[in-house]
Amino acid sequence: MITRRPFVLGLICGGLALGSGLTLSGAATAQDASNYPNQPIQLVVPFAPGGASDFAARLMQNKLSEHLGQQIVVVNRDGAAGNIGMEMAARAKPDGYTLYLGNVGTVSINPHLFPNLTVKPLKDFIPISIVADTPGLMIARPDFPAKNAKEFVEYVKANPGKINFASPGTGSVNRLEMEALQYAQGLKMTHIPYKGGAGPAAADVMGGHVDVMFVTIATAINNVKAGRLKALAATTKERVASLPEVPTMMEQGLTNRPSSSWQGVLAPAGTPKPIIDKVHAAIVETMRDPTIRERMASAGVIAVSSASPEEFMEYIKADSQQWSDIIEKAGIKAD
Amino acid sequence: MELLNNLALGFSTALAPVNLMYGFLGVLLGTTIGVLPGLGPVATISILLPITFTLPPEAALIMLAGIYYGAAYGGSTTAILVNLPGESSSVVTAIDGYQMARRGKAGLALATAALSSFIAGTLATVLIAVMAPALAEVALKFGPADYFSLMVFGLIAAVILANGSVVKAIGMILLGVLLGTMGTDVNTGTPRFTFGVAEFSDGIDFAVIAMGMFGLGETIGNLSRKDETNGVLSEVRGLWPSWAEIRSFLAPALRGTALGSCLGMLPGGGPVLSSFSAYALEKKISRKPGEFGKGAIEGVAGPEAANNAAAQTAFIPMLTLGLPSSAVMALMIGALMMQGLSPGPQLLNNNAQLFWGLIASMWIGNAMLVILNLPLIGIWVKLLSVPYRMLYPAILLICCIGVYSLKSSALDVIVATFFGLMGFVFYRLKCEPAPLLLGFILGPMIEENLRRALLISHGSPVVFVDRAISLTFLIMSVLLLIVMIAPAIRTKRDLAFQEEG
Repeated sequence: MITRRPFVLGLICGGLALGSGLTLSGAATAQDASNYPNQPIQLVVPFAPGGASDFAARLMQNKLSEHLGQQIVVVNRDGAAGNIGMEMAARAKPDGYTLYLGNVGTVSINPHLFPNLTVKPLKDFIPISIVADTPGLMIARPDFPAKNAKEFVEYVKANPGKINFASPGTGSVNRLEMEALQYAQGLKMTHIPYKGGAGPAAADVMGGHVDVMFVTIATAINNVKAGRLKALAATTKERVASLPEVPTMMEQGLTNRPSSSWQGVLAPAGTPKPIIDKVHAAIVETMRDPTIRERMASAGVIAVSSASPEEFMEYIKADSQQWSDIIEKAGIKAD
Repeated sequence: MELLNNLALGFSTALAPVNLMYGFLGVLLGTTIGVLPGLGPVATISILLPITFTLPPEAALIMLAGIYYGAAYGGSTTAILVNLPGESSSVVTAIDGYQMARRGKAGLALATAALSSFIAGTLATVLIAVMAPALAEVALKFGPADYFSLMVFGLIAAVILANGSVVKAIGMILLGVLLGTMGTDVNTGTPRFTFGVAEFSDGIDFAVIAMGMFGLGETIGNLSRKDETNGVLSEVRGLWPSWAEIRSFLAPALRGTALGSCLGMLPGGGPVLSSFSAYALEKKISRKPGEFGKGAIEGVAGPEAANNAAAQTAFIPMLTLGLPSSAVMALMIGALMMQGLSPGPQLLNNNAQLFWGLIASMWIGNAMLVILNLPLIGIWVKLLSVPYRMLYPAILLICCIGVYSLKSSALDVIVATFFGLMGFVFYRLKCEPAPLLLGFILGPMIEENLRRALLISHGSPVVFVDRAISLTFLIMSVLLLIVMIAPAIRTKRDLAFQEEG
């Protein structure tokens, strides 16, 4: 029976049988950027299947494999808010055969939340390109008295300590977005953390058990359209095309920066520059693919790529600084 | 007659040759991975996700759904034959199913599991077709306080799982609760009992403990009994159950279906919780509770029906609200999004063909599973004639591979080994592992919901009796406690009177 599973899987998914994640050891042949890649490449996803990072990885897996000429194998290595997968990728041989799908949480937030984290993303990784940009929405229970974020702020000021806000976890970007608002406006609310993704938290807002939360557009948009959730603001620079009536946090004067749950591909520090450039070019091609763009868009995710690896580095630096400031000011700890 | 039109649309979609083929592929693959411990539907579905990119949406969803309920189905096979639950939802099936196998009724146990699952699958399909939107509303009404009270009720009911000493069962439940506290605290982010090991920061995986305690522990236990055949009779009576036997498991299967349909919609517990509850219910209302743990057919039928019904009703919040109640449902949402479809309230209107096709395919898939599995029973049962000295090393190896495949973590294999040794110790002490596993699942959920409910109410405990749903479960918990304690009190009082007299 042991050999049967790879056989059955292999039957269906062709060369993908490797995907069981058991076999790849990253053993590298003679390093030569010119014939890279000549073996399958593993893409480490630091979260379990079913989440936003896994979705992004699986969506681009086929096209990216095509453009690189080698099979991309997605390896889910979850645990410790993504830190376990990030450490595994950082310690891998820098030969281009291990890539890391980082996100706002592991790369920009965790280093400031976990003092014992041995990985320093800006030092231990070379950013290659951003791939997905997932803006957020501030949602409230359907019968909440405020119509937009500005009214919401007034309401909380008039009712200090009475409003509860949910989040998908203590160190999540969605919590920090609310903490930033709370700090900037001097609000007093109670934080109700959830685990297991944004689904359970959003369900409790929908059911009226919790008042408000920040959440990715993907999670909320359909229920906003169906009137089961109220959208108070978007975290984007300009209004979201599919929700034109929802104002942004920026235009309501509540923040001066957009914020996003993003995913991007990074490589362990020391990976040769020609390889970085090759992967970068392949990612740019992949993210331009109309089918991928369209499918991501319908999931509330914007397919993007960085003009250059350097530009992605600058993006991460600014993003990391932003969250570091909020974590410090609001006095948030997780370890 | 809109319902009939919808169902007609659904069946015409699901019966289209290409969808039928993918549906069959799904249940076949699902049964296979279900039989193998550790290899669960989550890993399989995520590996296949990129392939579904190029399939039509109906075929993709029908195949993935087939994997999911096929796995729930296949998991019971090894649970019954070698006391090794292939999936977490079949842990309970192992209790009486394995005992039936040891009495030479392996074929009957497998047939009971298959037919109960089919009954549950049929009824759950009808339920989804008729009431999905209305049921989703009910699921939304459940707040943290209500979950807390439901879990308390579940934990008290867990005592009934015990076949021997009640004190030992309570001890095992509490040990399970303690093990469940390992990992990062949801509210503060503080690591608890992680011993500084990063891998423990999310606690221990349920499958690691289950496989250690059941798979490894049982194997060591059996080996220590010396006799090669180990009491498992390899001769098998007719595979098809007699009419009397069908009658004896029909009622439990129906009760299990009802219970599973309700619990399946709620996030977190799903199939696991419902199979535990169904077992507890059957044992409580049985006229011969002493039979449970020794091969009671009701102890197989109830939980098997429940976990299959729950596996299907778990689709309700996913399809109608776009909210996942489990990791598998989150993957289903991912599969929909890969197709450029957005799960949520509009799915039913905008993609009626997909919605009804998927529902119809569930029933067809369940029928395929019965057709696929009944002839296989004979082959499965022959497996029992394999001498244990050859069977056991194979079981150990499959367990290790299964545990490793969960997270590609070698530490998990070591942890499973540790629980295997503990399982052996408990085996010798005659402490049953099932209550421990239930405590392990319910403990963290109780804690999380208790703290969440109190945070939301700003510290006021009134919230638990203020809400109708919560109050109902609390009253039921008290009644259950009285029912359980009353016989003991009466016996003691009778003794006291005797002494006075």
